[in-house]
Amino acid sequence: MKIVIRNTFDKAFTILTALSVIFISLVLLGILGPMIWRGSGAVIFKGTVEFRKMQMDLFERGNQDVLQNEIVETDTVRKTIFETINRFKKGIDTEALCDRVRDIHREFGQELRLKGITGQEYSRLRSITRDIRDKLEVTFESQDKKEITKNIEYVLQFKKDERFKATCAEELFQIALGFQKDIAKIDLNKRKQYEEDLIQIEQTLFGSGEIPGLLGPHPDKPLPALAMNRFGATRWDQSLKLLDKLLWIEEWVEKEPGKPLEKVRTSRKEKFAGTDLEPLFSSVQDNLEKILKPRLTIYWQFFIDDNFNSHYFGGVGPEILGTLLITFLGMLFAVPLGLISAAYLVECASDHFIFRMIRMCINTLAGVPSIVFGLFGLSFFVLFLFPLFGMPSKGCILAASMTLAILTLPVMIRASEEAIRTVPQTYKEASLALGASGFRTFVTVTLPAALPGILTGIILSLSRIAGETAPILFAGAVAMGPIPKSLFDPTRTLSYGSYDMAVGDRISMMVPHNQYGMVVTLVILVLCLNALAIGLRSRVFKRLKGH
Amino acid sequence: MPMTSVQKDTKSAATGLTMKVESKLALVEKKDSLNRHCAIIKAEGFSFYYGSKVGVKDITMDVNQCSVTAIIGPSGCGKSTFLRSMNRMNDLIPHTRAEGKLIVDNQDIYDKRVNLVNLRQQVGMVFQKPNPFPKSIFDNVAYGPRLQGTKKRSELQQIVEQSLDAAALWKEIKDDLKKSALALSGGQQQRLCIARALATKPRVLLMDEPCSALDPIATGRIEDLIEELKSTYTIVIVTHNMQQAARVSERAAFFCLGELIEYDLTSKIFGNPGKKQTEDYITGRFG
Repeated sequence: MKIVIRNTFDKAFTILTALSVIFISLVLLGILGPMIWRGSGAVIFKGTVEFRKMQMDLFERGNQDVLQNEIVETDTVRKTIFETINRFKKGIDTEALCDRVRDIHREFGQELRLKGITGQEYSRLRSITRDIRDKLEVTFESQDKKEITKNIEYVLQFKKDERFKATCAEELFQIALGFQKDIAKIDLNKRKQYEEDLIQIEQTLFGSGEIPGLLGPHPDKPLPALAMNRFGATRWDQSLKLLDKLLWIEEWVEKEPGKPLEKVRTSRKEKFAGTDLEPLFSSVQDNLEKILKPRLTIYWQFFIDDNFNSHYFGGVGPEILGTLLITFLGMLFAVPLGLISAAYLVECASDHFIFRMIRMCINTLAGVPSIVFGLFGLSFFVLFLFPLFGMPSKGCILAASMTLAILTLPVMIRASEEAIRTVPQTYKEASLALGASGFRTFVTVTLPAALPGILTGIILSLSRIAGETAPILFAGAVAMGPIPKSLFDPTRTLSYGSYDMAVGDRISMMVPHNQYGMVVTLVILVLCLNALAIGLRSRVFKRLKGH
Repeated sequence: MPMTSVQKDTKSAATGLTMKVESKLALVEKKDSLNRHCAIIKAEGFSFYYGSKVGVKDITMDVNQCSVTAIIGPSGCGKSTFLRSMNRMNDLIPHTRAEGKLIVDNQDIYDKRVNLVNLRQQVGMVFQKPNPFPKSIFDNVAYGPRLQGTKKRSELQQIVEQSLDAAALWKEIKDDLKKSALALSGGQQQRLCIARALATKPRVLLMDEPCSALDPIATGRIEDLIEELKSTYTIVIVTHNMQQAARVSERAAFFCLGELIEYDLTSKIFGNPGKKQTEDYITGRFG
């Protein structure tokens, strides 16, 4: 072959390998980059005043006085919003008016009896208020303005009646007058639609039982039971989404028959044009920053905080703790067991058929799906072994870590076996020639020399079991629950938490930042553990090489 | 049969040596006969088998105390097998078997009751390649004494110093005792291995081609060291380098195909070999 061609081939090979390395790095970047970017949103974001309220209420964190000032400032702006809605609602929410009118009618009867008015006079007055009540009820439901005016005029003729003076019946006339005023600007034909929209608007602003609103619960209503509903939009991006929901109505419309539905956005502001509610939209839109006071927040406590309401608020502290606990406990079981097995297989086992079988079994075990180990952990540790020793038969940290240890044992044995095998025979010979026993030689010479390889095995095992979900599914991981107090309690882990948040939890869908945050935390945790082990390995390696 | 340059060298060296050695012959013979009475290693009809393969067959020879005995011979002739039998390092290989007697210090070492730990501390070994442990220099030398149960730092310090001094290494590395042994040069490493073997205070030192991985200068140093050590220790050395055997040893054994062909004073082996095979080998006509 000509030398030119050979050089070209050499270069081509170099370029090819370099390209593949670049490709792999790009893929890695493509996977990790967006994940880390999104996950960082759990820690670094624009937090609103609601976030600070939440931190104060749930975690007792922050400056009380500063927060109080902020709340006062925002409340002044919010007040107008509340007022606007209340005013509009009066004309729309007729059901409440109906109820009130019925109540007054009843109260009036009681009042009359208290005054000692009975007999004919009583029934006459009662029939008047019943009449008023019926007329008003019809009025509230009516869509005809003329009818309304007629009815209200009919009601108001009793206003001058002395017998109603200074009784609760006076309120009836106020309601009638107020209603007349309220509906002045409202197109009555659209009242039903307004009613529906108003429910949506109120949900967007104050939250429903399921979704927290922009401003938090209405101050007049009782405090919701769930922590997530007690606060408004804690994050700026969340508040922008809610604002969008407030300003636009999204509908799926079939434009042409047979075609897929299309999303149509219509402006709520236009829909409510001319009504009392119209200024609400622009005032929320323009004053959003004043209402929520967003500020760049670094929520580092994400890594230590417990969560509220399925990770709607709070962090992944117990999950990190559980993961570390299970991982280290698992390694505590796996490393000695793996090392001893490997030592036996290298130093003592002959090339007998049985040992070849055992080796094959170990290799096969390394390829067994992890869910099988999970079921094994459940049936062996939880259901069989623990009751045998009088321990509660339930998933717990101990069972989970033992299951993980068994899962990683093949990896550990293989890596340690290779490491021990690669220790030069001359080291062992030198030690044996000095009179050391086989065991002493193994402990003092072979093991230290094999340490880098063994540490590699530990790194591989560590990263594997820190991220495993299936084996601990039944053996001791839970999605929610108290922080474990002993090794016989189940625990939350990052891996299982990520899985749980990913599958169909309604609340976790609303907090993708926490979802990604948990996954990224797991990745970072594994990286940190690896970095630790790699650092240790390079130190051992240096010491062995004598640099 | 045309001679290669190496063969020529060997021959001229051997004849040159003959001249030098002959004048001292009388003296050496006298000393040798004195030493004969206190042979420390005695092989009596000793054979060693790897499974069905013969390692060495029917060896009968005595090794004198406080002398250097060289074992020479072509590759695969059983030199190393015999040497490794002397501290039972061959036991590491599965399916081996020994026959006959191999007596070290009045004890048959293939007896079942023999304590391997004691034996190996009595009979130290230096290997072909320098094989210090990946530990500090101090820990390397102190390894043997620690096995013997010496724990006191001061005692260990003393033994380490003595051993390194005996191995002519103390002056070079006395300030670097904490450094890794692997940071030393090849020659230094081999001398460290000798010091390590000496630290258990053995009576016999087995050397399995100790200089084959070293350059000539390091080889020279090791040879000087052997010269010094032989006043205290009995040294058995396996070597491929016949000048080395001639330079350092007092008696030499020639092995071929697992059998002991000739065993005599080194001067006689190289000057006036009794067997044709020996002469062929040392003059380079064979092997």
